[in-house]
Amino acid sequence: MSAALAAPRGIDTPTEPMIDVAGLVKVYGGNEGDTGEGVVRAVNGIDFHVDPGEFFGFLGPNGSGKTTTIKILTTLLRPTRGAVKVGGLDVVERPQDVRKLLGYAGQSIGVDGDLTGRENLRLIGHLYHLPGSVVRDRVEELLDVLQLTEAADRPAGTYSGGMRRRLDLGSGLVHHPPLLFLDEPTTGLDPQTRNAVWEYLRTLHRTERMTIFLTTQYMEEADQLCQRLAIMDHGRIVAAGTPHELKAGIGADLITIRLPQDGSFEANRARALALAHTVPGVAGAVEFEQGVTMRAVHGGATLVEVLRRLEAEKVPVNEVAVSPPTLDQVFLQHTGREMQVEEVRPASRGPWAARRN
Amino acid sequence: MAATESVYRPAAPTISAPAALGSAGGIATEILWVAYRSLRKLSRSPFLLFFTLMMPIIWLGMFSQTFGTVFERATNVPGQAPLPYDYIAVLLPGIAVMSAIQSAAQSGFSMVSDIETGFMDKFLVAPISRASVLVGKTLADGVRMAAQTAIVLAIAEIFCVAFGWKIPFATGVAGCAMIVLLVAAFGVAFAGLSNSVALFTKRTETTMMVSFTLTFPLLFLSTAMLPYDLLPGWVQAFSKFNPVSYIATAARTLILTGWNWTEIGQAFLAVVIVAVLLYSLAVFAFRRQTA
Ligand SMILES: Nc1ncnc2c1ncn2[C@@H]1O[C@H](COP(=O)(O)OP(=O)(O)OP(=O)(O)O)[C@@H](O)[C@H]1O
Ligand SMILES: [Mg+2]
Repeated sequence: MSAALAAPRGIDTPTEPMIDVAGLVKVYGGNEGDTGEGVVRAVNGIDFHVDPGEFFGFLGPNGSGKTTTIKILTTLLRPTRGAVKVGGLDVVERPQDVRKLLGYAGQSIGVDGDLTGRENLRLIGHLYHLPGSVVRDRVEELLDVLQLTEAADRPAGTYSGGMRRRLDLGSGLVHHPPLLFLDEPTTGLDPQTRNAVWEYLRTLHRTERMTIFLTTQYMEEADQLCQRLAIMDHGRIVAAGTPHELKAGIGADLITIRLPQDGSFEANRARALALAHTVPGVAGAVEFEQGVTMRAVHGGATLVEVLRRLEAEKVPVNEVAVSPPTLDQVFLQHTGREMQVEEVRPASRGPWAARRN
Repeated sequence: MAATESVYRPAAPTISAPAALGSAGGIATEILWVAYRSLRKLSRSPFLLFFTLMMPIIWLGMFSQTFGTVFERATNVPGQAPLPYDYIAVLLPGIAVMSAIQSAAQSGFSMVSDIETGFMDKFLVAPISRASVLVGKTLADGVRMAAQTAIVLAIAEIFCVAFGWKIPFATGVAGCAMIVLLVAAFGVAFAGLSNSVALFTKRTETTMMVSFTLTFPLLFLSTAMLPYDLLPGWVQAFSKFNPVSYIATAARTLILTGWNWTEIGQAFLAVVIVAVLLYSLAVFAFRRQTA
């Protein structure tokens, strides 16, 4: 398994991990070792940990075992095998104590369409045994930050997809959990609403020091939000690390150099290409209509060297860019397949989307 | 590889549960909130509410018309004074039990729909007793059954005044309250079956089939529709093992003659036995569902 899984705990983070999973297996419709019709090995031996305060993600395509894992972590399912600790507590032995630590917003949005938004949140608050006045204040606060105050007295069944997602997110937050589980929190949302949810999650993570565990099928979401992530495929973690490490593991950044479109463009481009080939670390350079692109393991360092040589040779440069590899390439490298994401139907726009227009 | 950018140092990690948790109330609070939520849902469905409450009245009208004359002919012995009450008085407790059983049969539906919508997970990730969810839901159904029973008793009384129906109501309002309690308690107990099926199968159709298939034999192979003496021999034998009989008989005595604490005690014992059996099954199903 990748080095990132065995991050230097004990030095940076003397506390126990918030989530500690070792040898987790989940078999539906049977036991460990069973085969045959109807037996599904949804999670096939995974190990990982999440530190307190970390924003951690599971990235994987449909059926890779993300929901199964999150349901085990939230005590909704029992593991077939493996040691699973949340907040230092065994999820099988002390589920009730684990539940006190966590908030959860599932993949199928669990809001009651017959209750109003406010009633949905209050119910959750009372189920967590919060005193009445605390419930009232907390619910108003959440309705406010989630921009649901105006719709608070309408049945949640009349909400747009984005509003329901937010309400569901809110219901996972009523009791101020130190640990939040989100199963595909932005699936089905339009880009603007998605951005707003991202922004809110970042704020939560920063200001409430919440540990967040998120699953997603979106490369961009994992890349934007997660400090560390595990890439899941067929019930296994095929790669793990910071988005940066994962992409760096691919080997090469993309360097793009654009040249001025003047009379000597063609000649300059030929010289730039020839030069690029001489720089150590450049893994391959090609021309394109605006200049030259090349691959390099350490994009930044290589770019400096390329620019120095261009300068020395007096080749004029218009614009430069270094772009890291994407997580798509990471997934491809580890599985040999492109990650297929189900086509998403954007939810109709809620007030969040409107606000951001 | 610039790893420094990504090394994360938590500001002040917390692993303890929020301090405010667990301070307000115990299991009773949980049950009440689960029940409140179900009743709130019912109040948001006016049609459902209306038909729930009207159903027993429709049964009452239909059965009294259809079987009333048959019953009179059967009980009218020449040379003796006619009975001082109508068949409707005999039937009334049966109708009440029947309505409660029907509501109980549907009790599992909301369980299935909560599982399907994912709302059940909200209950299950909360640090509440699993039994609270089950009991809270069926308790809400119990409130509904109590309301049904109270309404059908009230309507029957109104008909006595308006159309001269002969129902003695021998134990008055207190007796009626006892009937409401008995019938609702039995309904809640019986709802354990529909919830078990719901939790085992997670399908509304199956829940409906199993419950409805059992509903009518339970009713007709009991003393709910006719007094014990008028039942055929083999039904009499069966009815002794049928808890519905004990509820119906106790309620009938309360309406026709007076307080009979033996019968009432037996009826509550029947409720307890049914509840223990069916709720054990339901809790087992609940555990399995989340395994
Ligand atoms: N209750 C169940 N019974 C049997 N098989 C199941 C059950 N739930 C999930 N599975 C199977 O387990 C595998 C993993 O499913 P899971 O829901 O964990 O994937 P996922 O990564 O969350 O996928 P998605 O992105 O579609 O939500 C799939 O093959 C799925 O069909
Ligand atoms: Mg999933």
